[in-house]
Order: sequence, then structure tokens, then C-alpha cells
Amino acid sequence: MAYHISVFLENNPGKLEKITTILSENNINLRAMSLASSGDFGVMKLLVDDPDKAFDVLKENKIAVTKRQIIGVVVDNVPGSFNKLLLTLASNKINIEDCYGFLLSNGTTAAIVLEIENYPDTAKLLCDKGFDVLSSEKIYKY
Amino acid sequence: MFWQKDIETMDRKDLRKFQLDCINKQIALAKKSQFYKDKLAKIGELKSLDEVTKLPFTTKQDLRDSFPYGCLVTDLKDVVRMHSSSGTTGNPTVVFHTKDDIANWANISARSMYCAGARSTDVFQNTMGYGLFSGGLGFHYGGERLGMMTIPIGPGNSKRQLWFMQHFKTTVVHILPSYALRLSNTVKELGIDVKKDLNLRIFFIGAEPHSEAMRKKIEELYNVKAYNSYGLSEISGPGIAFECQCQQHLHIWEDYVYPEIVDPKTFEPLPDGEEGELVLTTLQRQAMPLMRYRTKDLTRIISEPCACGRTHRRIARITARTDDMMIINGVNIFPIQIEKTILSIPEAGKNYVIELIDHNCMDKLRIKVEINNDTFKGTLKDLEKLQNKLISELKQELDVTPIVQFVEAGSLPVSEGKAKRVIDLRAKK
Repeated sequence: MAYHISVFLENNPGKLEKITTILSENNINLRAMSLASSGDFGVMKLLVDDPDKAFDVLKENKIAVTKRQIIGVVVDNVPGSFNKLLLTLASNKINIEDCYGFLLSNGTTAAIVLEIENYPDTAKLLCDKGFDVLSSEKIYKY
Repeated sequence: MFWQKDIETMDRKDLRKFQLDCINKQIALAKKSQFYKDKLAKIGELKSLDEVTKLPFTTKQDLRDSFPYGCLVTDLKDVVRMHSSSGTTGNPTVVFHTKDDIANWANISARSMYCAGARSTDVFQNTMGYGLFSGGLGFHYGGERLGMMTIPIGPGNSKRQLWFMQHFKTTVVHILPSYALRLSNTVKELGIDVKKDLNLRIFFIGAEPHSEAMRKKIEELYNVKAYNSYGLSEISGPGIAFECQCQQHLHIWEDYVYPEIVDPKTFEPLPDGEEGELVLTTLQRQAMPLMRYRTKDLTRIISEPCACGRTHRRIARITARTDDMMIINGVNIFPIQIEKTILSIPEAGKNYVIELIDHNCMDKLRIKVEINNDTFKGTLKDLEKLQNKLISELKQELDVTPIVQFVEAGSLPVSEGKAKRVIDLRAKK
């Protein structure tokens, strides 16, 4: 099982910096992120190299934080590859709660991070359909 | 110039005699209630108004504690109406009226409007809320009593308000001062020329504290004369004190209430001219007479004669309150109602602050609530669900819709004893 961490953020100067300072001081590497805002406040999802440690240090600093399960999928860096992934999910009526991606260092592939609720078998389904589903070790360190 | 010249210009000596007579009748009546029975047991007939200080004070808490019928002195068969405060966390304050009470209240409301210049030829648009709130129905009955064509439009829907004003040639409007400011945005938006397209001449502004500067602004925006109105539901509602055309302080109708000013700490009576808490004893109420009701409004009595010729003394614009009650859009709100509501929702944090802000020219409550780290689920969807839950529960409790914002846990001042949780951020009006 792979996780990213989700933190509560006020939409004010310095609030995000407070989070990144804690991560930096604890030598936690940030790999990717996504932000959802409701205007005055929002929720930030952070993909880090050590989510358990990140969760603990943020919790110690009285930050509202949770770990949420994710699935990492590698897709080719070519037109239509992300679309193919989405088609597979849609045709199986799987709804995406949150999603973001980042290009991998080889430049020819990208990692897509999916947060999916109420469908525990998604990873297996994607494997069966031939997608390259990443182990948690790979998502954190790839 | 007068609605009831004999009463409004009554010689002060005669007026005081009338008041004493009324107070003695009210005492006799009040003794019939569960609430006053023991409190007034040893009180005989008062010989002079100086003896009013022998009477016990009555507070809002007393009214809550005697819910529902503890202060009622008549048979229910004689009661024709009730009004009530909002709120479900504690007992509301309920006020009962007989047929005569409604008629007397309509009469002082009509008198108030008449002294500001309203006449039976006027068209009166009442934008105050109808219902349990006494502001709407109070002046509705007053307007009809005066003989004006009364439009019971109620609050909100600015375009419709202006449509009625244009088509029925409204001349007199009863409105919250903050709503008057907001409505003027729609006037501009629709390109309405207040001088050419509307026939407005008089605004009654009340149910919310406001400054002289705000009155001037409303007068300019609508090309009207605006008159300050004072009242409270516990006595009846609007029309208890009103400005005459001199616009210098509010005549308090001394045949309807007996006013005193007391020191808010010692409760000792203060002489005219000194600021303190306004205390009112009812003089005409039949269903629910009240002895020395503490309004918690701070003002002073002006005993110098007014140029209009009325002999009823005046009170100054209310400057502040002695308790923590807030008035938002005419609705009375206590911080404790907000606290109880927030604490009843465990997913919300326990620390909060209440901010009073200007929002689209209207007074608005903004409640900042700390996030609860233990129940944080990590999605915006869940936060928004909680936000909507807080808004709807607060709206149900308060009767106004607040803005709810989440802030980080530990970011608000920790409450030590009675923390100052209410912050007024409104620009000085």
C-alpha cells in the first residue's frame, strides 16, 4: 500500500511555507503535490519519500494531517496515454477523488498518482489490464 | 402636526400623575403572574414616582426562566398574539399580547410615524421581517392604523423592492440601515434616478445600531429624511421611542413606558443627562406588564424641551450595550448561542472567534473555527461538508446565515475564562 499525506491549509501567506519548512528540517523529500482550495482554506496532498515520518513530524507540530492511500501508475510520455488510463477507469465506473502526475527522470515516462475511494481492487484491475502499477517503494523513490 | 396632541403635549405634571396611576394599575395586574406574585407581594400602592425604585428589576434571563407562561397575567382566551426571540439552545423570550395590547402598540407606532411626517396619503413599504420578529408586524399595524397603504413586502429581493417602489410610488419605507445601503447598489445597477424615478420621502431606520453619519448617507442616497426608531420586543417592538422632524434624539413615549437610567454596575438611578442603562416599566400592557425591565441599552435621557412642542422626554441614540448581545440584520444574537452550536458538532474544533464584518454593505457574522486535528479526514469534500453543517446548524439557531471559515488548530487565542471572542471589524459607519 502506498500513501501520500494530506494537510489542512489556510489560504494565507506563509502557511504552505510552514509545512515545507518542517519537511525540509526533517530531511523529507517532496516529489509531487496537488492543492484543492475552497477560497479561504484548502487541502494539500503531498507525495513524499517517507510518508510515515512526514505524518509523524507534522502531527508533532500540531498540523492537521492524514495519510491517504494512493495508486501510482507509469504511463508513456506520449499523447493519449493518460487518456487510455482514464478510459479504463471510467469504463469500470471508478471515480477519481484526486489525481496528479509528474515526469520521471528518464523523460520518456510519467507517474500518475491516483486517489480512489470505495474501490479497493483498482490496483489489481489496472495490473490485469496491463498497466505498470508502481510498488510503494518505487512511488516514493523512483 | 400631532397624532394625539393632548397626550403628546401633556403638561409634565399631569403626565407624571398619569404615569403613577398607570404604574399602580400595572403593579396590581403583574401580581397575578407566577413570576411577580412573590416579588411584588409586599409592594403596596406607590405614592409617588420616586417610589418606583422600590420595584424589582426584571431581566431577559427572568423572562427565559419563566418560559412559557410565567409572566402572563391574563387568561389565554384574551391573548391574541405572541412574539418570540430566535434560538433553540435555551428558552426563547416570549411576549404575549391581548387585543388591547396590539391596538396600543399600533397606536404608538402610528404616532411615531406621524411625528416623523407620515400621513394617510402615503404609500408605506415595510421591508422588515414578518413573523416572530416584532419589527415587521409592529409597523405594519402602525402603518394601517395611520391610514397609509401598507405594502407587506418583507425583506430581501432588491429588484422586487425597487419594482414596487416604482410602480406603487412608495413614499415611506421601513428598513434596516444596513439593507438601505445594500439596496442602493441595486438602485445604481438598474440605473434608477432616485429623484426622477422614485417618490420616496421618508425612511424609518431601526432595529440595528447606526451612527449619525450613516443616517446622513442614507438620506443622500435616497433623497429622503431618515428617522431613527427604537424599540424592543420584550415591551412590544418598534415605536417605543422615535425621532420627530427635528431629528434631535428620540422621544420616548412616556404614556406607554416609564423610563429610568441606572448605573449599569450599581443599578442606582442616575439623573437625566447622565449615561447609563435604560430601564423601562410598562404603563399600558395588559397581557404581560413588566416592572423595571433592564434593556441593557446604554443611553441618556434628555429632559430639555424639544422644539417640536412634545413634552415627552427624549433618549439619545443608543451608544452600546452592557452585555455581549450583538444585533445583526435586526436579529439579536448572543455569543453563547454560537458557542453551544459549535460545541455540539464534535468534528469541529472547540476554539473559535466571531467577527462582525461588512459584506456587500450588510453586516455579516464571520465565524472562524479551528480545524479538529483528530477528525481531519484529509479531503476538501469532507471539510466542505462540515462547513455546510456548521452553517446550517448556526442558521437554525441564530436566524441569520453566517460565513464559516476553518483555521489551523492552535491559531486562535486560547480561551482562559471568558475569552474575548467577538471582534468588530466593521468600518465605523
